[in-house]
Amino acid sequence: MILRALVLRPAQRRPLRLLLTIVGVAAGVAAVVATIAANRAAVWAMREGVVEVAGGEVLEITAPGGVPTARLAALRRLASHARLAPVIEEAALLPELRETVKVLGVDLLTEVGLANLPPLAGGQPQWESVLRGDGVLVPSALAERLSLQVGDRLLLAARSRTVQLIAAGVVAPQRLASAWNHVIVMDIAAAQELFGRHGYVDALQLRPRPGVTLEQLRDRVVSENLLPPPLALATPGQRAEGGQRMLRALEFNLAALSGISLLVGAVLVATTLATSVVQRRRVIALLRSLGAGRGQIARAVLVEAALIGLAGGVAGVLGGGLAARAALASVRATVASAVQSAVPTTAIDIDPPLAVTGVLLGVVVSLAAAALPLLEARATPPLQGLRGEPPVLLPARARRRSALLGLALLAIGAALARLPAVGGLPIPALAGSLAILAALLATAGLAVDTFARLEALPGLRRAGVLLRLAGAALAAGRRRAAWAAGAVGVAIALAVAIATMVSSFRATVLHWAEQGLRSDLWVRPAAVAGVQVGRLHPDVVECAIQLFGNEAVDPFHVATVPLHGETITLGAGALEVVARHGGVPFRSGEDARAVFAEVLRRRGAVINEPAARRFGLAEGDVLRLPTPKGVLERPIVGVFYDYSRSQGMVVIDRADFLAHFPDIGAQELAVFLPPHADPAEARQRLLAALSGRFLVEVFLNRELRAEVIAVFDRTFAITTALQLVAVGVAVVAVATVLLALLAERARDLALLRALGASRTQVARVVLVQAALLGVIGAAGGIAAGLAIGLILVKVVNVQSFAWTLRLLPPWGSVLSTAAWVALGCLVAGAVPAAGALRVAPAEVLREE
Amino acid sequence: MEPVAVLDGVGKRYRAGQGSVTALHQVSLRLLAGEMVALVGPSGCGKSTTLNLLSGVDRPDEGEVTVCGVDVRRAGEEVLTLLRRRHIGIVFQAFHLVPQLTVEENVALPLALDGRRDDSRVHDLLQRVGLTHRRRHFPGELSGGEQQRAAVARALVHRPRLVLADEPTGNLDSASGTAVLQLLDELRRRDGAALLLATHDQRLAAVADRVLAMHDGRLVASHRP
Repeated sequence: MILRALVLRPAQRRPLRLLLTIVGVAAGVAAVVATIAANRAAVWAMREGVVEVAGGEVLEITAPGGVPTARLAALRRLASHARLAPVIEEAALLPELRETVKVLGVDLLTEVGLANLPPLAGGQPQWESVLRGDGVLVPSALAERLSLQVGDRLLLAARSRTVQLIAAGVVAPQRLASAWNHVIVMDIAAAQELFGRHGYVDALQLRPRPGVTLEQLRDRVVSENLLPPPLALATPGQRAEGGQRMLRALEFNLAALSGISLLVGAVLVATTLATSVVQRRRVIALLRSLGAGRGQIARAVLVEAALIGLAGGVAGVLGGGLAARAALASVRATVASAVQSAVPTTAIDIDPPLAVTGVLLGVVVSLAAAALPLLEARATPPLQGLRGEPPVLLPARARRRSALLGLALLAIGAALARLPAVGGLPIPALAGSLAILAALLATAGLAVDTFARLEALPGLRRAGVLLRLAGAALAAGRRRAAWAAGAVGVAIALAVAIATMVSSFRATVLHWAEQGLRSDLWVRPAAVAGVQVGRLHPDVVECAIQLFGNEAVDPFHVATVPLHGETITLGAGALEVVARHGGVPFRSGEDARAVFAEVLRRRGAVINEPAARRFGLAEGDVLRLPTPKGVLERPIVGVFYDYSRSQGMVVIDRADFLAHFPDIGAQELAVFLPPHADPAEARQRLLAALSGRFLVEVFLNRELRAEVIAVFDRTFAITTALQLVAVGVAVVAVATVLLALLAERARDLALLRALGASRTQVARVVLVQAALLGVIGAAGGIAAGLAIGLILVKVVNVQSFAWTLRLLPPWGSVLSTAAWVALGCLVAGAVPAAGALRVAPAEVLREE
Repeated sequence: MEPVAVLDGVGKRYRAGQGSVTALHQVSLRLLAGEMVALVGPSGCGKSTTLNLLSGVDRPDEGEVTVCGVDVRRAGEEVLTLLRRRHIGIVFQAFHLVPQLTVEENVALPLALDGRRDDSRVHDLLQRVGLTHRRRHFPGELSGGEQQRAAVARALVHRPRLVLADEPTGNLDSASGTAVLQLLDELRRRDGAALLLATHDQRLAAVADRVLAMHDGRLVASHRP
């Protein structure tokens, strides 16, 4: 019966308010579910791309720069325990589809090479062309999309060079979402030729013979010392985990950002429940008079919160699935950018555990949001003990308490922000941000009260009667007004914090690009969704050198090497070229030209800031890196700012690199033209020289900078969406509270009408109330948002990605966000204002 | 006969600004089962405070309040809640029906709060107060007199030992008020409940078994009409 009186019947009478609250929760849950699902799909695709293709129980021997095929002979001692299968895995571009495919080179002459392949389909393959080197096995889904029959020609871009291959056969993966759908298989010798991997393979696979376990095989390899450094032994899963670890911070931060929407949804639930508890105060008091216990009242509030959470959770999971599909492309690009390799396409899967998690999230968040309204409901005395509304202005003790609580929470937030990361994740700093938001909510009532006091100042008495009436109405309904102002403040705080982080990041990247991107032309292999596919063929570098001269061309090579248990990038450029023209900014402030000249003189290296922070390295330390030709020892000469990656990077001279690694092609190429040269004309010449044979992209300097910013904007597109959700929910919160305030203040408005106020004046009072809520919320929200933005820029980013960012709040955007929210509050006030127009004074006053 | 309620030397003060106001001073009274007692006095004399103490909503600062064997001053919150739920019925001046519940649901509310259900009792009371035909209506659709009759039924549905009525006819016209009071008296007599009626209307007091006069927080007179 209590549930009926307090929850069900009111919901039937005012379904809109309940619906808006459910939508608020649903929006938050949808944001979280979508982010997790999209992220999981991209990470899964990345992982499965490795594990499924490697297949089954297998150990892999890998090494920086590749495993020399000469090692095969030494490993034949394992023949009794395992079958050996050399493998090459490379990325290539399908120009026709503008998609990335993995090219898998295996020994198709041996049983072990064929062992893990999907079953053949459509008859016997044309093995001749396969062994000749131009035949490949194509997955059936791809063959269908390209309308390929066996024997048809297939265009591929490998190391940016276009080659015509023959679809020699078709394989049929068993699963619809199999990673094999994006893999082309060719003979390993042909793959070595195509990708310039002479003498090396990516991995030597050890497939245990029947009766031999992986552990036994591993023990045998270790005990016989068959793997001198830098060779390493691992399962494909362990190899994939390395990539996943790189993404951990990124995933966490994306999830934290989406959690923001959920937080705003929680504020909406709290606002709605608090408003309804206050509105139903007399009914609750009556029930208490009749013998309802505090527990019975509390249970009704909890049930209402749980129902809101349940409905919001279910709607959020459904909406999250749709949103995940929309966000997947953006997240895939982000993941690909982070791991510096393409991520295959994949489908979104909202599996039962994620769906249940989403629903539970909605319920838990709603129940948590019900805490303060619950306490207020429980504290409601029986009707006879119900005093009138608390004094319009807060007593001094209450003001002091509120202020002290706010200060305490701010102090806690500041203290938490200074703590180190936990497990590499900025958990204390994010908790500190929550403490700041809590301070905002705790002082919202004080803010409303302070505003009411300002209204009473003699100087402001002439400000206009409507303003004074609106301010007085807010003060009279201070508790509800505080909730609404708090909701607006939280939404603005989160929007400002995100905007500050994104703006600071963007400005930093822009400044870095202006300082560091000095080349006139920048050449890379053709890209898909902003991520380049593969490397440049050495002929591209040769062509550029012939056109522009050795002294103008800076080819950049990369390899991955282990350092302190993590995988980092070892890069190499023509430092004598860079030393003449300059490059990325260095942490010490020293001129890049001088630093690179020093590197050449001392045969040293420079490292990026993430490497310096993660491994505690600095100028003067000595690096020891494993290479195919032994250990590379180099002193660190400088630390450069690098916002293109969050993993560690070491850069040495190209000649130094090629003395230790095989030349499999440069990752990219920079060209420095003489003064007064026309870069556009130079680009045309280069493209003409490469035309028909190579698929490359050539950027002018300004285009390169624009591309850097475009990648940045794509990465942060999701944060813009989250901002909009936050603002929308704030507007809903204000509308909810205003409707409730209007219902309570009907008598006051009727009195105004009886005293001679026009309908328009009465409606304006309501609109001004709405705008005031927006202004009060905005003031606190901006302050809190800037504080949280500072934490995000100076602490969270550093702990997550090891980047130093300049703090640059986007003042224009901050003020416009506040203005938009205030405007939104005004719009939210339109419905209650319209209701105020319909107040019939005689009717309302007669009921008294 | 064991009294249903006893106030013995009760004092009650309320904080007002910097100081305090004495609402009751050395008030002593006894209510016996089945009797109707009128508590009369001007506004602000302490009638409502007396009712609040008897219903367990408030606690005395001095003296003892015992209702149906419960020491109100020392009993815990849960005990006082159960006291109101099971042994006390209240009729308010402003009716105070739950707007979101029908008349039938409002009448059944005290039983529902106690986890009980007695449809025949509810229907019997609705019939006796003449609201059977309105049982599915909401309070907002009823006249003042009808609402108060529903409130009377609600106050008696759980067979309380003590009924407290605070100006029950204050919002009604003379005819409706008289009808409601007669109904209240008739129904509570059938169950043997004691009725304490707080009113400033001397005419209503005339129908009581005993009249207690209050002034400035003190009981100043007691007589039988």
